[in-house]
Amino acid sequence: MYFFFQIALSGIATGAIYGLIAVGYSLTFMTTKALNFALGMWVMMGGMLTYSLHVQYGLNPLLVLPIVTVALFLLGIVAERFSVYPFLRAGSDVWVLSTLAVGFLMIDFAEIVWGRNPTPVPPFFGKEPVYFGSVSILPQQLLIIAAACATFIGLDFFYRKTLLGKAFRAVAHSGEVSSLMGINTRRVQALSYATAAALAGIAGFLVVPLTLAEPQLGTVLGLKAFAIAIIAGLAAPRGILICGLVYGAFEGLVSGYLYTGIRDILGFSIMILALYLRPEGIFGRAQEERA
Amino acid sequence: MTAPVQWLFGAVAIALLAAIPVVTGGTYYAYLGIIVFIYGIVAIGLNILSGYAGQFSLGHAAFMAMGAYTTAILSKSLNTIPFFAQTGLHIWLGVIVGTVLAALFGIVLAIPALRVRGPYLAMVTVAFGWVVWKILQEWVAVTGGDLGISSIPKPRIGAALLDTRSFYYVVLLFFLAALALQYRLIHSQFGLRVRAVKHSEIAVASVGVNVYRLKVVVFVISAAFAGFGGTLFAHQQNYISPDNFQFFSSVFFLLAVLFGGAGTMLGPVVGAAVLMLLPEMLHDFDKYRLIVYAGLILLTLYFLPKGVMGLLPEQRSAAPAPADAMEEAVALPPIRGAGLAVEGVTRRFGGLLALSDVSFRVEPGSIHALIGPNGAGKTTLINIVSGIYRPDHGSIRVDGENARIESMHAAAQEGIVRTFQTLKLFGDMTVIEHVMIGMTRHAKAGLWDAFAGSQRARDEASAQLVEARALLKLLGISQLENVPANSLAYGHRRLVEIARALAVKPRILLLDEPAAGLIAEEIRALAVVIRRLRSMGMTILLVEHHMDLVLGVSDRITVLDHGAVIADGSPSEIRRDERVIAAYLGHAHAAA
Amino acid sequence: MSSSTYLKRLAAAVAVASLGAMTGAHAQEVKIGMAAALTGPASFVGTEIKRGAEVAIDEINAKGGVKGRKLVLIARDDEHNPVKTVAQYRELVEREKVVAMLGASNSASMLAVTPIVNDTLKVPVICPATDATEITENEAKKQGRENYLFRVGMYGTGQANFMVDTMVKKFGHKKIGLLNWTGGWGVTGRGELNRRLKEHGLTPVGDETFDNNDTDMTAQIIKLKNAGAESILNYALVRENTFVVKTKEKLSNDIPYVSAWGIAGPAFWKAAGTSAEGVLSSTTVTIDGPQSAERIAFINEYKKRFNEDMSAAVFAVGAYDAIYLFKEAMEKSGFEPAQIRAGLENIPEFKGLVKHFKRPVFTKDRHNAVTEEDMIMTRWTNGKLLEIKFDDKGPYVEIDASTKKYLDKSNMKLM
Repeated sequence: MYFFFQIALSGIATGAIYGLIAVGYSLTFMTTKALNFALGMWVMMGGMLTYSLHVQYGLNPLLVLPIVTVALFLLGIVAERFSVYPFLRAGSDVWVLSTLAVGFLMIDFAEIVWGRNPTPVPPFFGKEPVYFGSVSILPQQLLIIAAACATFIGLDFFYRKTLLGKAFRAVAHSGEVSSLMGINTRRVQALSYATAAALAGIAGFLVVPLTLAEPQLGTVLGLKAFAIAIIAGLAAPRGILICGLVYGAFEGLVSGYLYTGIRDILGFSIMILALYLRPEGIFGRAQEERA
Repeated sequence: MTAPVQWLFGAVAIALLAAIPVVTGGTYYAYLGIIVFIYGIVAIGLNILSGYAGQFSLGHAAFMAMGAYTTAILSKSLNTIPFFAQTGLHIWLGVIVGTVLAALFGIVLAIPALRVRGPYLAMVTVAFGWVVWKILQEWVAVTGGDLGISSIPKPRIGAALLDTRSFYYVVLLFFLAALALQYRLIHSQFGLRVRAVKHSEIAVASVGVNVYRLKVVVFVISAAFAGFGGTLFAHQQNYISPDNFQFFSSVFFLLAVLFGGAGTMLGPVVGAAVLMLLPEMLHDFDKYRLIVYAGLILLTLYFLPKGVMGLLPEQRSAAPAPADAMEEAVALPPIRGAGLAVEGVTRRFGGLLALSDVSFRVEPGSIHALIGPNGAGKTTLINIVSGIYRPDHGSIRVDGENARIESMHAAAQEGIVRTFQTLKLFGDMTVIEHVMIGMTRHAKAGLWDAFAGSQRARDEASAQLVEARALLKLLGISQLENVPANSLAYGHRRLVEIARALAVKPRILLLDEPAAGLIAEEIRALAVVIRRLRSMGMTILLVEHHMDLVLGVSDRITVLDHGAVIADGSPSEIRRDERVIAAYLGHAHAAA
Repeated sequence: MSSSTYLKRLAAAVAVASLGAMTGAHAQEVKIGMAAALTGPASFVGTEIKRGAEVAIDEINAKGGVKGRKLVLIARDDEHNPVKTVAQYRELVEREKVVAMLGASNSASMLAVTPIVNDTLKVPVICPATDATEITENEAKKQGRENYLFRVGMYGTGQANFMVDTMVKKFGHKKIGLLNWTGGWGVTGRGELNRRLKEHGLTPVGDETFDNNDTDMTAQIIKLKNAGAESILNYALVRENTFVVKTKEKLSNDIPYVSAWGIAGPAFWKAAGTSAEGVLSSTTVTIDGPQSAERIAFINEYKKRFNEDMSAAVFAVGAYDAIYLFKEAMEKSGFEPAQIRAGLENIPEFKGLVKHFKRPVFTKDRHNAVTEEDMIMTRWTNGKLLEIKFDDKGPYVEIDASTKKYLDKSNMKLM
């Protein structure tokens, strides 16, 4: 049993990372029906900034967090203005390409500024594991799981109680109607993109002590998170978080009891099957083209 | 550009391409050419799927891998057999088998994948690409794992080994053939449907097309192109490894399509060429290369959101003007309107009872209006009759026969065709194209006719054109034949919807609020059209709010309120019905 | 970086490019090409090869070149993409007229160019990286034709043999666990390790894998521990191994961990820090511990010139030697590619940085300069990669010229 719990817990910690990133996809999808395909690169930017501020400048993580959040939020506003909005307005699908191009820019930028070699960022609460019985987990991993739980609760608060959250929901429901209600749809779309960017930055901030600070940091994470967002359903942010944790545990268990090499083969095949059975995602509601 | 000029341009371009290996010497440019052509073939396949049909795939490298690995393994194992060693047939056998296998896997993926749309579809294809790539790495005994397969037989014709330059010409031919196939496919009846799917799947289904099957077929064609490209790639390189078919390769192909111009004939090729060759020219930027590359993509997209080919003036292949005499000679075939009976239809949505035991009859050749306040269940009913929803209880009868309406295209097969309250036209496709798509159900020419450009397909197309023009004339919009739908006036769009529905040759026409958004003058014209259709024998079920229109044209009216029939009778009876008045007034009071 | 510096660098790049085009016409120059990843995650390999070659070329040119002709290096970034590697080989040979090439940064790229190098381009290539056995043991060699591919780095079968043999014979471990990366060369390495164990009549007590985005290897480590592994053998690169050693540390696991040459450079210590203490790595070269005078000169020159330490010394040192090997071959046989190729097979002795070869570096049948006997096992010791040597009392490392520390064979700790 020790083995089971140990690998399941480690898996859940990884899953919490996926979940945190994956929520970002849903934010923009709900308001614009477009995605930031390079969200993983934004995670990387968050991680690299954390590296710079925390390791190179020795700033306290509590100070680093707001700086990273604000920086990526602002960057998100700018990126949306230049790489998404023009194409959405033109009714073109090339935002797929343009968001990726922004991601490439970020990778190259990071390579030039920070170099290509992976560098460690010390965990915020030391690297002595915490024990639950004999099962061990790093404080940083606990922090990420906590962050995922907080996001889970916070999302509900955000969407139901805050003005911005309500505006997001209104625009998600119908852009036309919400403009009639006096909501600036355009601004909400930009804000949703920037919020997703900021969330990605926070994810990067939390993840980088567990991984390494390097330009390649977010690429695969972003892809897996995307898979999770899709399985859960892009319109179901809380479902996405749950899905992330479950998928992480699944990955851990497959690696533990079967073989790592078939983990992704199995995982992605199940995903295809899940979508076949539930085309709008497990937690998604059917959205047919309206007649 | 006129047709002869286009031909001239084409001929010059081909001559230039053919001259490259001769003029440049060495094998460097010939090799780059081969790679660009092969990538071009894959991108053309993806363009048919993503550019024209609007279904994004980020897993096409996997199909390329299928083709490549199949031919590599097959031709390598046959290489020692003397017969093949002498004739070189195993290479071309591998090319064929690889292409077919990629297409078969296209079916396997398309069946689950095409149930979903947009980013969901993109993710399914990403997942597929990832799975294939992982299998290539893990199944070491067959694929050689990460180190791949080397010593793949070189391309040959007979006993003659094709060196880089000669293979260049072979691949050039294949590439031109792929372009030609794309052209034929897109300019066929089949191609019309493919292009329409991008704009509205539901409207394509409404004219009797099984959209799901159509998308699967397109996907398979697309996979076959990619597989074919992969087979050529394997023999060109003599070595393949999973590296060649990573996620980024799939991204590359989609980039090529979007960058060059999705849904244009040459866009994918231009995209593949630029994206492939550009980094070669950026040698000296070394570490700034990615920035220059990404920056260039962004700038191009910013200024050319429709891709590089969006720079060129849009090509509209205006249908050839017919001889007037011919147009006059063709009358529209007679319409035999059918009777429609709705019997005991009940439908719930969760806890909400949208329709409760609704029954009424529509006489053949009559105009029957269905009215009621908002939320009365009119839309649900028309959606059930047209096959979008299935009823929980009850049945629909056409001419007394139980109609099997399991889907929109099944409804169309039964002769029930509808228009949409919120217009569902096919973007920038022309008016006449809309009507031609409506004729799909009765078309005999199939996919193979499209590829082969058969006489049958051409005869049929010209017959359909004549008929389509007659329909436009009937609706009084002949002058708009070659106007793209998205630049039409609102009233005209309504008429195009009706023309498209009529092209299906329905026996029952469902008009869903056709007067919505029209000005008085347009409504009068609409009334004329509706009456004219009845005089030709059409059965029409009209859902409408506009009372003047309803009372003016209807033979009979059914009134729904809260999901139930509250009145059924002639316009004069309905006008006097107290329950109807109460229902409308009550709602009016409630609203006030 | 400020945008003005960026613009300046861009301008400099353009200027250098056009200068290159102008000087390209000089007839007395001898061009050596390379195509390897200079951007992206594997770029450290390409960069080290390029830098090592540059140091050697400048040294040679400063001393008057090769028979009075100056050497020039033309480097291309193949982005780790075999298609590009093939294109660039053709371009470099046909258009730039290079007479010799340095190998790429990934085996797939080398395997892709191998057939055209031997059949069409016919230009000698020396690989400092890329350890796939088939690169040198290729079709041309099997058919008895002239083989243009040479190697000064590790080769696959040899390294796996060396790793297994060292642990089994020298450390006496019989319960070997495997823990390999499922991507890249990890798959090949895993196969090779299994093969060698089988040749010893052993089966691995565990055969675990991980993926390159795994950051937590808990499951695998616990399974290997439960299986009673005495040592764990591995094929992976720096980042994956960082997560392995961090997980081992988290689990307080001290089973000896032996990795192939992917971690034999300071980048590993930089990434993993003290978690890397005691990890073993097989390699051809380490620049830590006592060094020859030539090596020290090279290390200093590198640092002076590039203002940083080597991140993967093996590749830089290998490329440096490759250039000198080309020089010897040119001096001996001539400047034509075919002559250089023949010359390489005819160098009876070579005092290189990799090692002092007191036998022919290459022969007609052996295009791998480094054989199993030349490989070394190293231990990460306080940030230094120290060679493990053996005497009667067992394995030891030399902390400095005077301090010798023996290893505990069961956990590789210093005694």
